[in-house]
Amino acid sequence: MATKSDGPSNSKYITMVSSDGFEFVVIREASLISPTIKAMLRNNFSEAKTGRCVFPDISGLVLEKVVEYLYYYHKNVNVPYVPDMEIPVELCLVLLEAADYFQLDSVTVGTAFRSMGDTLKF
Amino acid sequence: MADEPTLPCLPPTSRLAASLSNAGRKRTRGLNPPTYNLSTSSDPAVFSSDDDPALDNYIHGRRKKRYVGTWYDQHPASSDSADSAMGDDMRPPPLKPRQQRQFKRRFDSGVWMAQTDVSTDADESMDLDPPVSRLPLPVSPSVSLRPRYSAEEANAQRIIQSCIDGGREEVDLSALQLCSIPNAILELVSLIAPIPTVAKDVAFEQRDPSIKLFLSNNSLRQFPSAIFNVDHLTVLSLRANRLTELPPAIASLKNLETLNIAQNKLRSLPGELLSLMKAGSKLTDIQLHPNPFYQPNVPNCSSSGADEYEQGTFGPKDDDGMCESWYGFTTSLLARTPVQFSNRSTVVSRFEFPTVSSLPTHLRKLELEELWSLEIPKAIGGQLGPHLDDVRESMPKGAPSLFELALRAAVGHPDRESAKCVLSEQCVSNHFAAAFDRAAHISDVGGQTCCVCGRDTIMPVTEWIEFRELQRTQVIVAGSGESLVENWYSVRVSNNGDEHCVPFVRRGCSWNCIPFKASEPSEPSKDLELSEL
Repeated sequence: MATKSDGPSNSKYITMVSSDGFEFVVIREASLISPTIKAMLRNNFSEAKTGRCVFPDISGLVLEKVVEYLYYYHKNVNVPYVPDMEIPVELCLVLLEAADYFQLDSVTVGTAFRSMGDTLKF
Repeated sequence: MADEPTLPCLPPTSRLAASLSNAGRKRTRGLNPPTYNLSTSSDPAVFSSDDDPALDNYIHGRRKKRYVGTWYDQHPASSDSADSAMGDDMRPPPLKPRQQRQFKRRFDSGVWMAQTDVSTDADESMDLDPPVSRLPLPVSPSVSLRPRYSAEEANAQRIIQSCIDGGREEVDLSALQLCSIPNAILELVSLIAPIPTVAKDVAFEQRDPSIKLFLSNNSLRQFPSAIFNVDHLTVLSLRANRLTELPPAIASLKNLETLNIAQNKLRSLPGELLSLMKAGSKLTDIQLHPNPFYQPNVPNCSSSGADEYEQGTFGPKDDDGMCESWYGFTTSLLARTPVQFSNRSTVVSRFEFPTVSSLPTHLRKLELEELWSLEIPKAIGGQLGPHLDDVRESMPKGAPSLFELALRAAVGHPDRESAKCVLSEQCVSNHFAAAFDRAAHISDVGGQTCCVCGRDTIMPVTEWIEFRELQRTQVIVAGSGESLVENWYSVRVSNNGDEHCVPFVRRGCSWNCIPFKASEPSEPSKDLELSEL
């Protein structure tokens, strides 16, 4: 899917890889919702060069749900009265951890969401 | 009846004869009754018939013969077959003891059915393995343990029961030394229905109950959430308990006329309570003091721009004119505190609410912020949306965070306690456990919404307190039609300095849900004018 012309660092898509080897090709813009991924892709990290983020702690099952959320959020940024995304009960605890890891917790909701990746300085 | 022809009994054809006559083209049947092919999708047909030669014993309640399968391989299925139906004495004793019903899957049918040759109606529970979940399942959901109530709780239950029996609407549970009251007991209150007066020349009238619930002089630490299920609650007294906060869902008690929450440990009231203190609501009596409420650090505060602030923050008021006179409470905004911004339950703004559980008086004083200024931490300020100064529509926008979604799912788990155990075992930080506790508590007391956009929120990230002044207000509507005149008379409830300002806490779900910045006044602020009642 990644366009070859721009090279991986500027492509429209990035690849997220789970611990058990599942790969998810995600629109870059959607993935940047997560401050963690944004930080990975920002500097001269290898992820930024290759456009490939490996998450050795997260299983494919959980990462799939996370990716689903990224798209869910991306689609509904400014839509009023969004129905909640379905979270299967058996996944909720691991998803809590994943949400914490990807920094997808309550603070980032709202329009402030998109640019939250910078360390808070006071 | 007796000379009705019976079905001919097919002679058992031998394999040899069959092979001779039909040369193998037809199916042959052996002497043995055929065994049913389990791959057929449905049960074999069962039919009964009256073709019994001994038909004259109808009086004895003869059971009809039952046949299973196709007519040509008929053989009696019920115990009283043709032979045994001759007489009761000749009936052979039942051979098989009653078997347990066995469920067996016919593989292509998709339906579980009992085996047909066993004629028992006893319902046996299915021995299906429960689905395997990664979370621990409730230990034994089938065993319902009858909750054991303490003596005080049993006492309360007895009182409620007697109220139900007698149709009395005043439930007096005061001074029972209750530390908590189980929802199962308190829910009984909603069963109370008044006994209508039955007398001569009085029209029968079914009226809604107006339940009065007195829980004063107990040791309740948490607002009993079952109260929200009592629809027709008009009087609620929680005086002299140990409540530290009121749940926001208290706004759902629309029929409340009297509320007494004096002598508790409340430091603030939920902002949602204000929906009971506006024109048109039924609340006519409220007792708030004494309580260790937060106080502003400036003794006489009053600021302009209150209307602008309220409209900007919470959306335009639905001001649809009173059509009849009304008497009740209104509030007017005096001041508000700066906003406390937090990030993952750590406060990131300079302003912070005190967290100590018991506060000396001087620490209960909170600093104030003018309505036309708004202090936002630098790192957040640059990232807020450009629409900060616009009047916001009050509707939830955007999707909730994944953390919150997952928390909600976790709290909704049937076995919440063991889910929490798993959580605290797995995670190093107790951030999750704390968030989980908070979420569980909030869902217990009826949920919490963002005051700006109205979305459900478990972990509010912005919080501020409005100091308001309570007024008794009377609206007298005179005239009719076009010349409707509303006269509003308000009078302060209390002139006592300490009880003057009542704190109402506001919670926002995102960093965009913050108070609206009113425009800076050019003239010095005027005092609120209050006309005498």
